[in-house]
Amino acid sequence: MDSLIAQADAIRPLAKRRKLSGDIPHRRTKNAQPSTTDDTLNSVVKHTSLPKSLRVTESLPENVPKHTHIANPKLRSELIRQSAHAAQSKALLKDAELLLTEDAGKIEVEGEMEKTWRVGQDEIARSAGQEAAKGRREWKLDGGPYKSRYSRNGRHLAVVGKTGHVATFDWQAGTLHAELQLQETCRDITFFQDQSHFAVAQKKYVYIYDRDGVELHCLKAHIEPTRLEFLPYHWLLASVGNGGYLKYQDTSTGQLLVEHRTKFGACNTMAQNRHNAVIHLGHQNGTVTLWTPNLPHPAVQLLAHLGPVVSVSIDQSTGGRFMSTTGQDGTVKVWDCRNWKGAVREWSARGGGGEVEWSAKGSLAVATGGSVNIYTAPTVHQAFTPKMPPPLYITHPIPHRPLTSLRFCPFQDILTIGHSAGLSSVLVPGSGEPNFDSAEADPFETKKARREREVKGLLEKIQPDMISLDPEFVGSLAPPSKLTSGSTDTPFARLPRLERLRTQGKADETEIANDSPDEDHSGKKQDREAREKRKMRGKGKSMKRYLRKQRKNVIDPTAVWISLPIYTLL
Amino acid sequence: MVKISVLQHAPSSHIALRPGDPAPTSRNLDPLMHPFARARERTRALNAAKMDRIFAKPFVDSLEGHIDAVEVLCRKPESLTTVASGSWDGGVILHNLTHRSQLARIQGAHKGKVSGLCFTSGDRLLSCGVDRNVKLWDVGSGDPNVGSSDHTPLNVFPSKSAFNSIDHHRSDPLFATASNLVQIWDETKSAPISNLTFPTSTETITAVRFNLSESSVLASIGSDRTFTLYDIRTGKAERRVVMQMRSNALSWSPTFPTSLLLASEDHNLYTFDIRKLAVPTQIYKAHVAAVMSCDWSPTGLEFVSGGWDRTVRIWKEGQGTGPEVYHTKRMQRVSSSIFSADARFVLSGSDDGNVRIWKSRASEKLGIITARERAAMEYRDSLKERWKMDAQVGKISRNRHLPKPVHQASKLKRTMLEARRVKEERRRKHTRAGETKPKAERKSVVLAEQT
Repeated sequence: MDSLIAQADAIRPLAKRRKLSGDIPHRRTKNAQPSTTDDTLNSVVKHTSLPKSLRVTESLPENVPKHTHIANPKLRSELIRQSAHAAQSKALLKDAELLLTEDAGKIEVEGEMEKTWRVGQDEIARSAGQEAAKGRREWKLDGGPYKSRYSRNGRHLAVVGKTGHVATFDWQAGTLHAELQLQETCRDITFFQDQSHFAVAQKKYVYIYDRDGVELHCLKAHIEPTRLEFLPYHWLLASVGNGGYLKYQDTSTGQLLVEHRTKFGACNTMAQNRHNAVIHLGHQNGTVTLWTPNLPHPAVQLLAHLGPVVSVSIDQSTGGRFMSTTGQDGTVKVWDCRNWKGAVREWSARGGGGEVEWSAKGSLAVATGGSVNIYTAPTVHQAFTPKMPPPLYITHPIPHRPLTSLRFCPFQDILTIGHSAGLSSVLVPGSGEPNFDSAEADPFETKKARREREVKGLLEKIQPDMISLDPEFVGSLAPPSKLTSGSTDTPFARLPRLERLRTQGKADETEIANDSPDEDHSGKKQDREAREKRKMRGKGKSMKRYLRKQRKNVIDPTAVWISLPIYTLL
Repeated sequence: MVKISVLQHAPSSHIALRPGDPAPTSRNLDPLMHPFARARERTRALNAAKMDRIFAKPFVDSLEGHIDAVEVLCRKPESLTTVASGSWDGGVILHNLTHRSQLARIQGAHKGKVSGLCFTSGDRLLSCGVDRNVKLWDVGSGDPNVGSSDHTPLNVFPSKSAFNSIDHHRSDPLFATASNLVQIWDETKSAPISNLTFPTSTETITAVRFNLSESSVLASIGSDRTFTLYDIRTGKAERRVVMQMRSNALSWSPTFPTSLLLASEDHNLYTFDIRKLAVPTQIYKAHVAAVMSCDWSPTGLEFVSGGWDRTVRIWKEGQGTGPEVYHTKRMQRVSSSIFSADARFVLSGSDDGNVRIWKSRASEKLGIITARERAAMEYRDSLKERWKMDAQVGKISRNRHLPKPVHQASKLKRTMLEARRVKEERRRKHTRAGETKPKAERKSVVLAEQT
């Protein structure tokens, strides 16, 4: 900065102005310190100073990109500030691991000869702590095979029997919220955002009850429902029924959002992917379809089994990457949702396919015949060609067939199995996420916290049309525009910024990958093809064009055949 | 031997020990625990933008008392509450902003309009008018009955020509007046101690301002489309810049001492760095009529401008478009506008004779704010900043309602500028003018720089 206003005759006449004034700042080398004898600064500093709170105190963290290739100093300093902030928050995030205080459960064996699956539930319950041993329970109930569902914080359990016995209760405290005998077929039950409401799929319609079991709504649009799912961040209730229609009901506004005709007939299998809110349906002809509210057709359709699909479940521990299915044909398959070409691994279950369920830590529970087998994370996800089951972690026999539902309890090492004689909870060490986040779901939340969460959840409700296979598309960059570059018609002032910089020779090309020759090549090829096509349009000489394409050094028998005059063939 | 451990939560560490205690919370920052984090954050940002617009009630109060249009406003240095206003009826009123009361009222301070006001040390007020007098008033008695007609000035400085503006030196007992030349006065002497004028100038000086940090430098604007820089140590005009159109007001930045703001007749505001006068550092475009007044915020990050189009606009330094815009049905042409000393309020004086108080941030909550509330506000602000590129969020936070005449005028102006641009493009396309690069608009503002 040159001192124009510092001296008495500060503002010099134009002619006498030093030539250096414009040049010095640009030519300054990188190492040069800002000169300490800045006259203007010295003159001005006693009148103008930043308050202490606004002054920068911390130095930049290391490994922050300096963006030296950016010429504009304003933009550069903004970018540096942003990346420094990002680096700082990343470093802070590393420290946040200190907050994780609870330890996950586990079973450790010594040596090759000991197997974890030999350990029975009695032994696990004996060696578990007093609080944890409460998870091992048997509920002997009449009224057909049972299905269950946990609330999002894992504190409350809703059970429904085939013949109409519905109960919701806080299983830890042992307080019953509601118990109903509905006297008609009930096929599924689900909690809404918390324990205050639940929906039951009954014989004809879906009914909504409040915590005390008072019937609030009868959803007559959902006819003969078989399965229910609640999407907690979108406040949507999805149901599928014997008619084969997938229906979304917005529970915050009450309107029926959309109904999709699956065209696959009655459907008994539904699961949601918690990370992108996509609904997975398994059908009678062995296909699995993935649905979003804004697409009238499945986003993905996959032939998974040779018979009907019995159960579908999506792994939460990998961000919804793995899906597992079981079929009536007795096979269990694990799929990679990023790449549908064949299953990652498959095996046949001995007693025919049953229910399947992933836990929060990636344990896979498979109900087969009269027992439940549990496999653990790293081996279940690994690709493996032979059709063999992964090493067994825990198995638990249950004599009451059929086993109709498997549910892992969130934030606990508990698996609840619904069967014809009621429900039984077993302990599966290492299946539950040990550290919960109070902002998302808190097993110990108070009444006030529950109310606050409900209001916050409604305020943060995500619009249903934002459901897509990739949830990260929100806030990401738009795809590049199709605007062609280099057209001479557009005046300089109307060109996009990058084009203007390019014409001025100031464009920063450092980040553009150098795969231009490739593109050029293919472009030329395409050009030629396009020209050929255009040339022939309207002439009607398709045979000639076909022959020219065949004109090569290779003797193609079909080409020869066609080009031969007819009389030679006679 | 098999080692088995099963997960269990100790209720004692998650439940409040005593009834009044806050419930303990636990955090897990694993992204898998927070599905849809981005989508939910966007929804929060959308809500923040909407709430910002819902709570945008910038008008605080209007201070009445003048019979005619308010010509000039001036705030007392080192006071948060005291503001003086001068009117076309020749009256001067001293307002208290907290109580919205009149501290003093001098009716008929001048014959004709009061054209300039400034405070001097010790509760004294200097006023100048078109009656060719500068008067020094004592307004510190705290007696609201000053308004009686027998109120006499402490001192009168007569001159030969009508005054247009007055400004006081930051520290010394000097003040400068603008008439057909800039005069420097000592408070204790009845004649000007020096006359400053550019050698070839025959203009009328319309405003004069001392620099706040380099306190011997002052700037003036004149009716011949120029602005001039003077130094009282050398006692002469140092530099003069001729522009396309005349300026109506000027203001020195309080934190960037070399930065000068001009409110121009051509609907724009300009900031200049006085070390490089050939090019303005930024052009501020949004007014649809002449800009009549401008004033920097004490933080130097914002400034306010009032225009002939009956709007008050608040700009961010260095951001040439999209200012905050305030208007009411009854507010007429805004002839003066200032920031309050705490940068939280903006005052505007208009042709309808009222001084209006506005919040400088339209949706700010007045009154006591708890720490939790403040944290929530700051979070909402950062959300809006982060998601401003989102189409929906950006649209909500950018959109401003304009009165119909202003909206029509801006539409008309946009059409005219577009037509001019298209014409220029065609001219460049078909003549030799197209062989050179187009001249940036910033570079065609200054016509000549003279010494």
